[in-house]
Amino acid sequence: MRWWRFVVASEIRKILAFRADFWVTFIGQTCIQIFIARSLWLAIFESSGKTMMEGYTIETMTLYYLIVPIGSKMLTGENMGFLSREIYEGTFNRYLLYPLSFFHYKTITFLTYSAFYGLQLALAFIGYQLLFGQFTLNEFIHLGYGLLFFMIASYTYCNLSLFIELISIWADNIWSLMVMARFLCFFFGGAYIPLSFFPGALQAVIHFTPFPYLISLPINAMMGKLHPIEMITGFFILLGWSFIFSWLSRRLWDKGQYAYSGVGI
Amino acid sequence: MLEVKNLTKSFTTFRKEPGLKGSLKALLRREKVIKNALKSVSFKIEQGEIVGLIGANGAGKTTLVKILAGIVHPTSGEATVLGFKPWERDNEYRKQMSLIMGQKAQVWWDLPALDSFLLLKEIYQIEDSLYKKNIEFLADTLMIKDQLKTQVRKLSLGERMKIELMAALLHRPRVIFLDEPTIGLDISAQKAVREFMRNYQSEFKPITILTSHYMEDIKELCPRIMIIKEGQFVYDGALSEVQKMMGDEKRLTVTTKEKTFKLSVPRSELGVKMSELFTANEILDLNIHDPSIEDIIESIMNYGIKTP
Repeated sequence: MRWWRFVVASEIRKILAFRADFWVTFIGQTCIQIFIARSLWLAIFESSGKTMMEGYTIETMTLYYLIVPIGSKMLTGENMGFLSREIYEGTFNRYLLYPLSFFHYKTITFLTYSAFYGLQLALAFIGYQLLFGQFTLNEFIHLGYGLLFFMIASYTYCNLSLFIELISIWADNIWSLMVMARFLCFFFGGAYIPLSFFPGALQAVIHFTPFPYLISLPINAMMGKLHPIEMITGFFILLGWSFIFSWLSRRLWDKGQYAYSGVGI
Repeated sequence: MLEVKNLTKSFTTFRKEPGLKGSLKALLRREKVIKNALKSVSFKIEQGEIVGLIGANGAGKTTLVKILAGIVHPTSGEATVLGFKPWERDNEYRKQMSLIMGQKAQVWWDLPALDSFLLLKEIYQIEDSLYKKNIEFLADTLMIKDQLKTQVRKLSLGERMKIELMAALLHRPRVIFLDEPTIGLDISAQKAVREFMRNYQSEFKPITILTSHYMEDIKELCPRIMIIKEGQFVYDGALSEVQKMMGDEKRLTVTTKEKTFKLSVPRSELGVKMSELFTANEILDLNIHDPSIEDIIESIMNYGIKTP
């Protein structure tokens, strides 16, 4: 078995070691978020007197907010601080001692978490469609596209996170920076409100940023709202952003390794 | 071979005044402090040698070890270990080297030790037969066979240290850096680790640098020692030679009615000093002995080597 496959297996074992967390986040958090979002949007739809707003009915809006919480977790993979915490605590040293690239190691663990949440997302999507909609070959294909885009988005987000978390070599605490980056990704990615509700000019501007490709694009793929051309362009744009963040994080490490003291607590 | 020439390392830190005022002030302006952890250090170690690196806290021991293990870059100077520059982190070098830090875990805490070992087997690309042989040898010698399937975080400190040793030696490194491997261990665990290291050293002949505050570790394992003080070597030579350096001195432990105190006296002045002591005090007890290695090393760390 190659080492990365073993890392994947080890991470899955770690995730499954905390069974309660699995069910609480999967069922509890998802149900609460759907309940809140559906209640709010029901009120908005009723007060507006419309049955469709910006391309969404209350049913498709509910599906949107079913995908958002688990999809966001899939996007953000491993917990915030997955690298900066190790730098702070000094356990980062081990990745410098072992004959491997810490970029590879961390990307693999990050994507393992993403894939795991992808499994939760697939279960939730299938369950919802079976209960409230229909699950035909079409939905199955859309689910596949959605998961694929979320995985690529997660890879992009991983590279962005590696870049931000490496800053902790110079600054001990980068928590606020990480929270801010996540908020920007979520807000301009459409996790709080679908992007079609944003003003037209803002929508045009944010398409020059990576944010809409991180959340909105995979959700739309999963809901079958994307044209094949949009999928192909979205795919290449995501890869482009991945490349940029990956390049930036590696350049940052080129500098950071001279400042790294390997101290930790 | 391990060779170091004029190795220097400086760290930049920031000083902050205590209290709220200091914190507010530091928001706007921080005072930069440059700490020279290593100052032009040079030495050589041959294959199969085990060398004790001794120094007070903050003397630069761990910094030196971290540079040689490739964790940090030096500010200037050269170092080659087995022909590699450590900080370039060539995988071929990393496959032949190990660092064991008594105060830091390197195995994965949430996994049983065997899972960590299997991961390391893949990382170091250890062949199945060698892996099995090594696991058996290390687990038997360290007497830790029964704990290999337990999550590492659930083990005692001593057991964790043994697991760290196993993890670090699984790939049979040719260079080993042991940074305080017996810290916090009880006496029997310390003995077990020392015994194991002695056997390992004689069987596999790696280059080993051992840093420890426990003189027992040094006395039992290291025929050669390097004493480092404020980033500079003050002694590099045989441990047996150290005792000779202060062989001209006697240590006196004197107990009077009021107190107990210690004195260092040149052998030639012993008679005069004792007569002075008996005249000036009512002596209840007097002990005359040669200085121990601990005393000598402490003296070298504090005052340097006395030249005649």
